[in-house]
Amino acid sequence: MVEVPLEIYRKSPQDAAPHYDRFQIEVEEHTPVLTVLLKVRDEIDPTLSLRYSCRQAICGSCAMRINGKSRLACRTPVGPEVRLRGRIRIDPMGNQPVLRDLVVDQKPFWDRYYAVKPYLIPDPAHPLPEGRESPMSPEQVEQFRETPRCISCASCYSACPAIASDPSFLGPMALAKLYRFAVDPRDGGYTQRLQAVQNQGLWLCLRCNLCVEACPKDVRPAERIVDLKWMANQELGAREPGSRHAIRFASNLTEGGLLNERRLAVDTLGLGGSLRQLPKAIAMMRKGRSLRRHPPIQGLNEVQAIYQALDRPEDLAHRERQKGADVKGPRPPLPPKATTQSAPPPSKGGSP
Amino acid sequence: MLVVGAGLAGQRAALEAVHAGRRVAVLTKLHPLRSHSGAAQGGINAAMGPQDSVHDHVYDTVKGSDYLADQDAVEILCRQAGPTVIEMEHFGTVFNRASDGTLDRRAFGGASYNRTIFAADRTGLALLQALFEEITREERLRIYEEYFALRLVVRDGRVQGVVALNRKTGTVEGFSAPAVVMATGPFGRMYSRTTNSHASTGDGCALAYRAGALLKDLEMVQFHPTALPGSGILITEGARGEGGILKNARGERFMERYAPHAKDLASRDVVSRSIATEVAEGRGFPDGTCHLELMHLGREKVETKLQEIVDFCRSFAGVDPVTQPIPVYPAQHYMMGGISTNPRGEATIPGLYAAGEAACVSVHGANRLGANSLLETLVFGKIAGANAAEHASRASPAEVTAGEVEEATRELHSLWDRKEGESPAALRTALQTLMDRNVGIFRSPGPLNEALAEIRRLKERYQHCHVADPSTVYNINLTDALELGHLLDLAEVVVRAALDRTESRGAHVRLDFPKRDDVHWLKHTLARWTPQGPELSYLPVTITEYTPKERSY
Repeated sequence: MVEVPLEIYRKSPQDAAPHYDRFQIEVEEHTPVLTVLLKVRDEIDPTLSLRYSCRQAICGSCAMRINGKSRLACRTPVGPEVRLRGRIRIDPMGNQPVLRDLVVDQKPFWDRYYAVKPYLIPDPAHPLPEGRESPMSPEQVEQFRETPRCISCASCYSACPAIASDPSFLGPMALAKLYRFAVDPRDGGYTQRLQAVQNQGLWLCLRCNLCVEACPKDVRPAERIVDLKWMANQELGAREPGSRHAIRFASNLTEGGLLNERRLAVDTLGLGGSLRQLPKAIAMMRKGRSLRRHPPIQGLNEVQAIYQALDRPEDLAHRERQKGADVKGPRPPLPPKATTQSAPPPSKGGSP
Repeated sequence: MLVVGAGLAGQRAALEAVHAGRRVAVLTKLHPLRSHSGAAQGGINAAMGPQDSVHDHVYDTVKGSDYLADQDAVEILCRQAGPTVIEMEHFGTVFNRASDGTLDRRAFGGASYNRTIFAADRTGLALLQALFEEITREERLRIYEEYFALRLVVRDGRVQGVVALNRKTGTVEGFSAPAVVMATGPFGRMYSRTTNSHASTGDGCALAYRAGALLKDLEMVQFHPTALPGSGILITEGARGEGGILKNARGERFMERYAPHAKDLASRDVVSRSIATEVAEGRGFPDGTCHLELMHLGREKVETKLQEIVDFCRSFAGVDPVTQPIPVYPAQHYMMGGISTNPRGEATIPGLYAAGEAACVSVHGANRLGANSLLETLVFGKIAGANAAEHASRASPAEVTAGEVEEATRELHSLWDRKEGESPAALRTALQTLMDRNVGIFRSPGPLNEALAEIRRLKERYQHCHVADPSTVYNINLTDALELGHLLDLAEVVVRAALDRTESRGAHVRLDFPKRDDVHWLKHTLARWTPQGPELSYLPVTITEYTPKERSY
């Protein structure tokens, strides 16, 4: 048994300021936080409001911040949390307005989900086979990777600092969902989907990995976003500032070992665009940031060797094999859907 | 028209009605993707294998039902299975594949062939997502999220619509519709040892019952053989389908004794009884469980085909199924009974339809086979949606009047405004403990009579219970109390029907009547609401080509 000091965020719609209510409850070590909250509600304070349903980490209702981290209450045992912090503090999810106590308005989250067209876009050139399933190899199913596991709990959305700083960012869940359709061999919207997110929607990800940490289903949204960035560059070319930035960042760094930020701005935004950034540059210099070109660092050859190793095709192939994906690039092989034969089974794994 | 409930059955009904040209409103007390359909793990049955046939699927289902299923309805279910699975695949479901690119199939209890199409061990989630994503395209379909239905309005002998509480604002609103599809799922939360979600409180069944619709076969309660003790979290039958075996504390594979042929994959009623018997006769483990072993299947198979199970066991039971046995005990899992409908999805009030677990067509009879329930939600959701749409297009306009909204509001406030009394939580716990103890796998008149008397006392106490939370915004104290009222009404029917059925059939086992009695009991139980409690009547089972015979596995 363990004594759980609980601090629960409380806010009624009328309250200007929220507060924490404190409770002390004794339960078994492995008791999920949800069970403890329901115990509080049933035995101490029936006015506590929260969302929950399945209590087995599949309905995605009970995401909240537990000791600051976005988690599902139903699958977070109390023991480790108490040992770590000496108490458990419960807050509502982030990036969504609080309706009451732990209940948030999820409209911003769902709006982004709808924005990525989360359904199959028909491919007029390759209609689905009449009266039978679309042929798909086990390897192709594997390429959906972790994305079908998503339970839309919004833990990733709650944890994402990029959404907090720029509301135009689609956020981890919606982008992972977009990935799920982009790699679907039945979907006809590959280019259209990538075009739609190419601008800020995709490139605002900070790669902080907080979504990976928050996801209770190991969907690894940040990795799917990296995949999408790669797919966008391959399919559409590096036309957007975001993608140019990513590519120039690497080449810039391998030249001298340190970033030449002046050059990076010009490469990313063009001359006109970077001139518009002049006030920002001046502000940076006032704070002591040097925008001069640095002399090449010692050990530059080692930096270059790292980048070279990363770019070597056999290493790329190795990395991709590790992820269980196609060796030639991030886009998974499509099934042989052009043929008119009576749907032969797809050849194993390889690229078309 | 209106659909109440947005799980697989409700969504499928709504989609079909939109395709038929209707404007459709869907009410759900959750968000559609939070529906309990998403918790279904194992798969969906369709006779798509080379040796398999619709005929075999029908036979297995009828045999599994212990001959209480209506055979014309089962025929529809099984005939539509293949097209339904293909349709869901085309909607975007990512099913597991065999090496030749076709849909992979796994073994499931009570089935003669490998017939269960699956998406790892989250088939329900995969289907729910694909169907929801499909309906998000439809502009003529509007979903009212987090609306709690308070009353089914019936006037002039037909359905007029629903009165519902907006959970976010506390306002009570009327929804007029000449056709209403109830697809509100099960009522397993009358038990504490259940695999069902907290939201599974039979709201639609209770509202339909109170409005005069007949309920069917509520005594038929399925206990799933393998749930984690304590939490009641489900371990899919797919775990045994992939080769998992059950053992008692002596290390014996005891299912060999109870079902020499099918062994661990006998139908659920048989396996649940066997586990309960092993434990009752002292051959269980000290914690009152038997063990489900997956260790011999190898890490790769367990981790790829049973991902969720591995995850559940590690996080909820502290057990790693790759290297350790999983302790299991049966838990309430599925309600074969529900709102009585015919194979067109029509309930007994004009304009009322029902589908999915809330309905009883009946395709499951006295015992449902695994992976037939996802199938039922989609097949009969579609049928109910089509017929409700057709009815709505013919019917004269319906109206929920301001007076009716006011009346429902008054009734709500008579519960809400009480200044003192017992907490609904205490009454709910009392009901759940009672049902666990007295209305479980093995039934006899003593405990059943005691349960009936106790439920009546609980209903009386419910009239004086106290909702302490005055807030109009997301007041779960209030909705909990409403749900408890629904559970109490339905529990009374379960127990009354179980007392009357003096035979053992499928999931209903009477210790004082251990044999099936086809002479007297080859019939459905119907229940009608009266102020004094349920009034029972009976309906013959529809038999086409499968005459009842003794069941063995």
